[in-house]
Amino acid sequence: MSVRFREAWSEFWVSGVSKLGVAFLIALSAISIYVLVSYPLDFGLRRWNNPPIWSDNPKAVPPAWTTSFGGESVVEHTTFLATEPTNVTESAKSRTLTYEFSIDYGYDGFPSFTSLSVTNATFHTRAPQFTLFFERPDNATLKLLREVAPAKRSEEEPPVTRWTEPPRRVYLSGDDRVASAIQSFLSRDFELKVSRDLIMRVHPELPLFGVPKQENETLSWEVLKGTYHIRVEAELFDSRDTVGEIKYVLGGGVFGMMGTDSLGRDLAVGLIFGFPVALFIGFVTSTLTTVIGAAGGVASGYLGGKVDLIIQRAADLVYNVPLLPILIFFTFAVGRGLWVIVVILVAFGWPGLAIIVRSMVLQVRESQFIEAARSLGASRRWIMFRHVFPQVAPYVFSQLIFYTPSAILSEAALSFLGLGDPSIPTWGQILQLGFQSGGVYVGWWWWIVPPGLLIVVTAVTFVFLALGMEPVVNPRLRRMR
Amino acid sequence: MGIARTLTIRAVTLIAVLILVLFMVVTVLGATGLSDKLLGAIVNERVRAERQSLAQSIRDPDELNRVMEARELELTKLYGLDLPWYLRLPQMAYRVLILDLGNARSLKSFKGSRVIADIVLERLPNTLLLMTSAIAISAVLGLVVGVKIGTNPGTRKDRALSYFSAISFALPTWWTGILLILTCAFWFQMTFGFKLFPPGGMYSTPPPADPWVAALDVVYHAALPVLTLVVALVGSYTYTARTIVLNVAQEDFVTVARAKGVPEKLVERRYIMRVAAPPILTNIIIGLAGSIGGAILTEAVFNWPGMGTLYYQAILQLDEAVIIALTYIFTLVYVAGRFILEVLYIALDPRVRY
Repeated sequence: MSVRFREAWSEFWVSGVSKLGVAFLIALSAISIYVLVSYPLDFGLRRWNNPPIWSDNPKAVPPAWTTSFGGESVVEHTTFLATEPTNVTESAKSRTLTYEFSIDYGYDGFPSFTSLSVTNATFHTRAPQFTLFFERPDNATLKLLREVAPAKRSEEEPPVTRWTEPPRRVYLSGDDRVASAIQSFLSRDFELKVSRDLIMRVHPELPLFGVPKQENETLSWEVLKGTYHIRVEAELFDSRDTVGEIKYVLGGGVFGMMGTDSLGRDLAVGLIFGFPVALFIGFVTSTLTTVIGAAGGVASGYLGGKVDLIIQRAADLVYNVPLLPILIFFTFAVGRGLWVIVVILVAFGWPGLAIIVRSMVLQVRESQFIEAARSLGASRRWIMFRHVFPQVAPYVFSQLIFYTPSAILSEAALSFLGLGDPSIPTWGQILQLGFQSGGVYVGWWWWIVPPGLLIVVTAVTFVFLALGMEPVVNPRLRRMR
Repeated sequence: MGIARTLTIRAVTLIAVLILVLFMVVTVLGATGLSDKLLGAIVNERVRAERQSLAQSIRDPDELNRVMEARELELTKLYGLDLPWYLRLPQMAYRVLILDLGNARSLKSFKGSRVIADIVLERLPNTLLLMTSAIAISAVLGLVVGVKIGTNPGTRKDRALSYFSAISFALPTWWTGILLILTCAFWFQMTFGFKLFPPGGMYSTPPPADPWVAALDVVYHAALPVLTLVVALVGSYTYTARTIVLNVAQEDFVTVARAKGVPEKLVERRYIMRVAAPPILTNIIIGLAGSIGGAILTEAVFNWPGMGTLYYQAILQLDEAVIIALTYIFTLVYVAGRFILEVLYIALDPRVRY
């Protein structure tokens, strides 16, 4: 057995496709293991399909590395976090914690949005007050907004905790108070009278990070480069009061390694999670399919008679059913679970193998070593397992590899039609969302190309392996080299 | 006698397939309670329509209610809604068979009809047009290239083919389509200011008046979807053709023919192709189911007004009646296509005839 295996391996290893396939397979497995170790199992429900987690990311922006090809410099997505105040001042009745962030703003564009979050405000008597100041390089200072934590209710016992789950998040780009602050700032510093509506329409970032330019009745904004200071002052009224965390987000025009989708989800995170899912679907489906197909084929070929007739008729029928319409119908009617997809793929996938294995077994059955085993009184099950199956095993194994990509592709196709399992993000689903959001027509390539490419690479890996195995299984193809 | 018998056997198998699919569909419909929902909707629709017409003659609202209640009970009986789902199976199967599935929820035919049969059947020719042209082009391409390479195995071209066919097999059809839209429509628009090919649809708006120009317009719109399908199909077609030709080319009778000094062209055509053609066709027959799947997805991507796009829309709008009808019609198309190819096979392979 081991000699045969070594021979087969050297035959397999000769061709370039096999080496490529093995290399890809190792890479895919390594990434999958990394995901299994580092991702939570309920990643899909808890994180991926949980919009608040992604709210501080820019929406549908390309990867960060795209800016390195020149052109205008786009704002890099930056998150400013502080758990400790930079300064503390005390007065008779209160204590003021100051959190300060400074931004060296040298970009040619404006941020896509800005937001401020406060996490965990704990107080004993009076609710703390938070004030956000915005200091521009031209020394203008805006008091953008003031937030007060919800006051203590009569039934609550101090200490009272506010804004833990979820934190208090103010989307500054859509906040009316910010718009008012900008309105008075523009009229004071630039003698420019504009409505709050207009500020909301052009986005508050433009007046905040820019200087108005009025030419022939049209208003435009020019970026004001320099150092900005974001200052959050928290006024606390009891010595025991605390503030957890202050976060200021400068929404970028680019994000991370792979960009984001229209919900602001980091595509790199979702795409990496797709690796083990794809391999799981492929392996489970192909293993079940080949086991059933091979068992059916061996039984059908070796036992003959009624068993043969039933299996072959059934295989003939099932083999002729067009798969995708049936898959669509079943997932639509029964439910969009990953298991539904796997079960249907197996139920309609086994006949091809069963038919071919049967024809191979018919030849093996007549050989002398089977006759010898039979005459020694071996049971039928023993002969099928120990003598017949090993003869067809190489072929069955090559088919195991060969079925893997078709399962992955079928799942992707179903996901693309909107029938994927909603609790588990897959590459097909990411692509489907990108397509459905009209990404093809506005050119969101970073959302559409990578998931498809990953599907192709994964599928190609197994096709290469199967191709490399072909000469091992079919000796006739060996001669040509 | 021989042909008739072979054809009958094939026809019976294919009809059995159709029955199997029908049976599966109605069983799932019954077991999941979807058939109750479906028939209930038909009954409601009819009751509403009759009530409206009766309201003209019966003025008394109490009287009208009484009549309609009786009528509703009658209809419930007629549609078998008072029976458990498994007793309703034959009736339901027949309903699917003749596409009597009521009205679509919100989908409409191009002329505005909401009847399911109208919606589905008017799209059938568009799907057939797309599918047959793609399969025909791929088959011819696959055959020509496959034979060329199969008779010269081991060359660089041969190795390139095996890489290409692997990639063609692994390329999700719809993703190829999306890439083509991104490049030929979006990217061209951005860099050159015009689209090389339209990103979707079947006609320009408004469609050209002259029938010849209109036909060209359809070809122009079909270019990308057909190319997408060809890319998906041609790899496996070529590779199987190459492998089968390679196997045949190593047979002794081919060597003898070459040794006799038969010109290479003649060897290829008479000795190799004649033997290789039937199994190659068999492979195309087997691939038909896959081509149908590819066509569904390609249509959805290119918004081609065929049954595949309808599938996509029906899924988005949760219209189960349309999905049932489409599943059935696609199976029917598949069965019919299979049968035509089987007839072709008999014409190619004399061994089946005698």
